[in-house]
Amino acid sequence: MDARILLIEDDPSIREVTAIGLRNAGFEVDTAPDGAAGLEKWRRSQPDLVLLDVMLPRMDGLEVCREIRRESTTPVVMLTARGDTIDVVVGLEAGADDYVKKPFEMPELVARVRAALRRTRGGDPTGPAATIFGPLAIDLAGRTVSRDGAEIPLTRTEFDLLTELAQRPGQVLTRDQLLDRVWGYDYLGDSRLVDVAIGRLRSKIEEDAVNPRLILTVRGSGYKAARPG
Amino acid sequence: MRGIRTRLALALVALVALTVTAIGMGTYLFVDARLRDGLLADAERQAQFNLSVLVPERLPGGVTRTTYEASGLNDAFRLRGDVETIVDYRDGQLPGTSNVGLPPDVIQGFPRALLDAVAAGRLAFSWQAVAGRPSLVLGGRSPGGGPDFYFVFPATSIEAALEQLRLGLIVAALVAIVLALATAGLIARGILRPVSSGSAAAARIAGGDLSARVPAGGADEFARFAAEFNRMADSLASTVARLERSESQNRRFVADVSHELRTPLTALVAEASIIEAGLAGLPADARRAGELLVADVRRLRVLVDDLMELSRFDARAERAELQPVDLVATVRSIVNSRLPDAALQVPDEPVVVAGDVRRLDRIIGNLLDNARSHAPGTDVEVMVTRNTSAATVEVADRGPGVPTDALAHLFERFYKADVSRHEGSSGLGLAIAAEHAALLGGGLAAENRPAGGLAVTLRLPVNEPLPASDGLDMGEPDADHGSSAPSAPTEPARPKT
Repeated sequence: MDARILLIEDDPSIREVTAIGLRNAGFEVDTAPDGAAGLEKWRRSQPDLVLLDVMLPRMDGLEVCREIRRESTTPVVMLTARGDTIDVVVGLEAGADDYVKKPFEMPELVARVRAALRRTRGGDPTGPAATIFGPLAIDLAGRTVSRDGAEIPLTRTEFDLLTELAQRPGQVLTRDQLLDRVWGYDYLGDSRLVDVAIGRLRSKIEEDAVNPRLILTVRGSGYKAARPG
Repeated sequence: MRGIRTRLALALVALVALTVTAIGMGTYLFVDARLRDGLLADAERQAQFNLSVLVPERLPGGVTRTTYEASGLNDAFRLRGDVETIVDYRDGQLPGTSNVGLPPDVIQGFPRALLDAVAAGRLAFSWQAVAGRPSLVLGGRSPGGGPDFYFVFPATSIEAALEQLRLGLIVAALVAIVLALATAGLIARGILRPVSSGSAAAARIAGGDLSARVPAGGADEFARFAAEFNRMADSLASTVARLERSESQNRRFVADVSHELRTPLTALVAEASIIEAGLAGLPADARRAGELLVADVRRLRVLVDDLMELSRFDARAERAELQPVDLVATVRSIVNSRLPDAALQVPDEPVVVAGDVRRLDRIIGNLLDNARSHAPGTDVEVMVTRNTSAATVEVADRGPGVPTDALAHLFERFYKADVSRHEGSSGLGLAIAAEHAALLGGGLAAENRPAGGLAVTLRLPVNEPLPASDGLDMGEPDADHGSSAPSAPTEPARPKT
């Protein structure tokens, strides 16, 4: 694997050992010690994925994440302190695709990075190349979504979430099923990943995100795509 | 037990009733005597005058039935007062009377003493009813002898006056008693107000509101009581505040320490995992040290994670988000992923509780960890049961169990029931499980099994069964995680590795 990862982390030990672990796993790694330098490096090198510490000097991770999202759909995985529940939700709302709690073992981190990168690869070559979901035209091969000919910029995670639901209109997918299929968690992922991503997705594809008509919440269960018509 | 209010009222009413009765009876007797004395003196004067003056003057020649009736004496007597006259001529015939309403034989109803006194020539009297009316009867003879005269004076006015007096006295007594009751109430309220405010304040303090105080004021015994009470409450509140402060400082210290440990620990954990991956390339002695390092770092991580988790409970940062969960599917999924060797025994039906899959995973995962470290190498059994009020998940091992006096302490932090601590256990797992269980509205209990081994039971309140739907969070992220034989009550234990 030759994916390029930008690691933005202020603690030198964590930064160095994480870089070693990622390189051992076959990634190409660039590092930055603070938010401003990280954003600068991201603009210059356009990595395939950003690993982003939340607590950073000069510009905190949330701000960096928002800046990246303003310009790109590059996958962002946050490194958060365990149990800082506010951090997790705010980070996801800032546009992070996933998060890894500190402390982490390298295999754990590598697995999350691989799962996030997998979403950036092309669609299933055996499946249909495109589908129509309400007013949306979904190009599965090109991984784009457009409405009335105008492309809607979705992150890879949001795109996968949309297609998982849109390809099964009317069928309820539980949060755990979505965590498995979109994020690659096979056991007890954080359901807030789903809820926050659904919220961001709705704000992009729904006419009124407060009264969604395309992606519906099934109370106490999960989500489903509206049936056509 | 009678209250102060009742006792005070009874005492006051008894006192007032006694006083009123004594005064009333005295008054009544006095008035009664004075009225009768007055009437009697008047009547005596009249009778004397009638017998000594009028009769001899009108009938100087003696009194006979014929002469008397012609004399008009009856009317002469009446001129001097309201009086009827009975004249007994002692001739074997009925006496003559001055009034047709006065039956002549009424004499026979007069007391013997009166008749005898008259026969003896004395003037005598008797209070008694004559023809149904209360009367004063005076009997006597004229100085020169002759027939017996009985003068009947009506006493109705006395009786009417006494009747009014009785009525007045009764009304006065009732008014006095009502006043006594009201006074007793007022006094009792005055006494009891501070007492009840004192007991209300004590109840609030007992209920945990240490700011409760008794209103102080005045200079009586209750003011002293209030001052003492409030001083006690102040001292209690300041002691509790001091203890709370020091406890919260302790807890904040633990949280801060854990937090500060996390950055170096994050580096350590990542470093150890890299060393672990490269262990095979190390020389033998360095490899062993590397293995120990990896295990110790992992242990340190569990300890710090557990401390942080507990400090979140202590900071009340944990909130339960309950939703319907099928305990059977959830427990099966947890056991499958954490300890597939365990024997699982579950009911055929789903057991729906208000729960949180992630907390259940922490609780049951910690119970499984505890069973595994407490009784290494023995079978672990997991059993889900439900009755009308609760669902339970029992995690039981075949280990040595724990001493009976240690059972109650098993859920305390860092409590060591067995001297040897198994690796990978922080000593906080059961305490954390108990915190999660409490957050789910349930609890944990431990007991030694009769056949040996420890059984820890999670008890959760049960919901009414929900309609079967896809509304359950089954705790199974993926369909292919589920058991292929859901109807078999006992899961076949997988072969040991």
